[in-house]
Amino acid sequence: MSAPGKTEPTEAIARARTGDADAWGVLYQEYASAIFRFCRRALPTREDAEDATMDIFAKLMRDNRLLQYDQNRSFTAWLYKVAANHCWDVLRRRKTRQDKETDDLENVPLEHPDPNQLDQLIEQRTSEEVRRALEKLGARARMALVMRYYSDMSYDEIADALGVRRAFVGVVLLRARHQLRQALGQSGALAAGGTS
Amino acid sequence: MKEVDNLSGDAAMQHLDEMTCLLYIERQLDRARAQDVSAHTEDCATCRTLLHALERESRLLTRAMLEEEEALPARLAQFQERARKSMQWIWTLAFGLAATGVYALYSTYVEPFQTRLQQAGFGSNDLLSLLIFQGAFWKGWRSMVTLLEVLALVTLVGFAVGFFRKRVRRSSALALVLAGFCAALLLQPASAMASETRRGESVVVGPDETIKGDIFLFGERVRVDGTVDGDVFVFGHDVNVNGHVKGDVFGFAQQLRVNGQVDGNVRAFTNTLTITGTVAKNVLTFDEAVNLESSGKIGGSLTIFVENLNLDGTLGKDLLIFAKHLALNGKVNGEIKMKGNTLTINSSAQVAGPISFEGNKEPDVSPQAKLVSPVDFHKMEHKPRYMEGHYYVWQVIWLAAFVLFGLVLFQLMPRFAADAVASAERYGASFGLGVLVFFGVPIAAIIACVTVVGLFVGLASFFVWYAALYFAQIIVGALVGQWLMGHTRETWPLIGRMAVGLIIVRLATVIPGVGGWIKFGVILWGLGAISLALYERFQPTLAANAPSAPYTPPLPPNTTVGGIQQPA
Repeated sequence: MSAPGKTEPTEAIARARTGDADAWGVLYQEYASAIFRFCRRALPTREDAEDATMDIFAKLMRDNRLLQYDQNRSFTAWLYKVAANHCWDVLRRRKTRQDKETDDLENVPLEHPDPNQLDQLIEQRTSEEVRRALEKLGARARMALVMRYYSDMSYDEIADALGVRRAFVGVVLLRARHQLRQALGQSGALAAGGTS
Repeated sequence: MKEVDNLSGDAAMQHLDEMTCLLYIERQLDRARAQDVSAHTEDCATCRTLLHALERESRLLTRAMLEEEEALPARLAQFQERARKSMQWIWTLAFGLAATGVYALYSTYVEPFQTRLQQAGFGSNDLLSLLIFQGAFWKGWRSMVTLLEVLALVTLVGFAVGFFRKRVRRSSALALVLAGFCAALLLQPASAMASETRRGESVVVGPDETIKGDIFLFGERVRVDGTVDGDVFVFGHDVNVNGHVKGDVFGFAQQLRVNGQVDGNVRAFTNTLTITGTVAKNVLTFDEAVNLESSGKIGGSLTIFVENLNLDGTLGKDLLIFAKHLALNGKVNGEIKMKGNTLTINSSAQVAGPISFEGNKEPDVSPQAKLVSPVDFHKMEHKPRYMEGHYYVWQVIWLAAFVLFGLVLFQLMPRFAADAVASAERYGASFGLGVLVFFGVPIAAIIACVTVVGLFVGLASFFVWYAALYFAQIIVGALVGQWLMGHTRETWPLIGRMAVGLIIVRLATVIPGVGGWIKFGVILWGLGAISLALYERFQPTLAANAPSAPYTPPLPPNTTVGGIQQPA
């Protein structure tokens, strides 16, 4: 579904809006995998992602929230936004002490990176290492990165989902990147380059 | 925005901060600022490197998140089928309950009523076809187009237009609806054409006149002295039917006297109905007083809702009566079933069938009266209902039925139910609208029923209104539950609160003395909340969760968006 340029099943969407169960089946088959992957990136565990995927589609079907979808816009983007809202709700509800400590860290001023060291760090890291590092991030940092770099949500949409001002989204993303770099550096592979 | 470089050794050079670089590659800077950054990076290798590193970081993030294709877990693959099955269960339950309700309604109310109607001489015709195809409003509607009917018809067309415009939004459907109305207006039976209408203060069908077909008579004083081959529809203050009517007589009058001969049936809504002549078939009537004089004769049965009935004449078949008082002096060839206050059977009375009487006083029966069997008397019970044990059993059953009804409704219409509960918190608006709908809808339904085409809309509106009276209590119950257990818009938690709240509401409505008033208030409140939710649903609103308009800042050259390289 997330492949750029892929045609959206507009007919199934229209029928699903009227409560057509078969049309819902088509939409589920089409979008369940992508929403599951989104939730998998955004939430801490696989079980959380499974639960969240089911909850998202169950609520969509049961309350027929498709009626809130503006058919002139991208359905994929709208669905990601619904998923992002749900995942963020889940994360907020189970906000732990650890998250609170992470929040406190967010007030620490950011150190300007050495461009060459950063370039070197990015060069040396693999996708697998980045995925592992993502799992170590705080809820908001991870959520922001997933929304921006997985589902390509706009700054407005991210601000709306996270409940922050739009002007603050860049700060959230930058802090998330710093946390990610720190996690990547802690993985030990950065020993050759050294970090500040 | 710029900071002094302490990394590259070029102390004189001011560099871009990381935030500016990030916003630049994400196309979040305005055009002027983006051009500044672009110009700076052409000369500054350090910032160019930083931009490059940030872009690569974006691409790495996107690649890392998209790369790993995790298969959909089996639990999720089966979820769709489970969801479908759960919906099937709900629909099965809903249809089952609906079918049970319809059957209960039919067997409790419709069937006995139908039997009574058949006993009253309506034969094999059902009530609806009788009203539509034999009723006054069908046969003579073209002759009696009044302002009221025009208004009702316009209202109906407007309703249909609005209804179809919202759902189909195609001009063809609208044209179809309008064409259907036109066809309904044009396609009337030939018999309807053969009718005549007379109006005036004093309207007379002369003794030498013979009316071929039906006649409609409107006047202060109306007299039918001649012969009418069809039916007579009469609306007046004082009406006398002295002649010969070969069809039926439909009367709406202050005083109606049938002195002549009616070969068909008499159906009347009057203050006083007096029959001194002959009615060959049946009489169905709603009146204050009815006199079947000693010379009067009814060939069929008499079904009557009246205050006082004096029956001195002859009745060919059964008498079914809801009355305050019946004085029987004449002859009844069938059975008598009466519910009322007092029954007096005088010495000259003759009854060929059994007599059952449910009333307040023992019947006063003359020993000289010729009865086939003694009067079967049942005294009406007036003990307060709450003094009886089974009253409470029924309250529990009703409560369970309410919870079940609410469960089905909340499952079928979760969003609407939640909206209605939310609307109930707007106390003033809900209550005010509730009063309006409670009294307004039945009146509107009756007005709609005046026209044949509006009959179905009127009846449907009435049934929906009646169902809403029950739904109203459920909505208020859910609100009370929310007060106690906290607010929610989730379906199942809302159902739980509804069940708890309903117990409290139903308990309040059975309090002796004030319970009835509480129930009335709850109904008004809930009805208003439902109406408010309906009203708001049909208002055009912006979708709350719709994505906002995409932000399109100026595009700097050679940048990435979401990790994807954009063309220059």
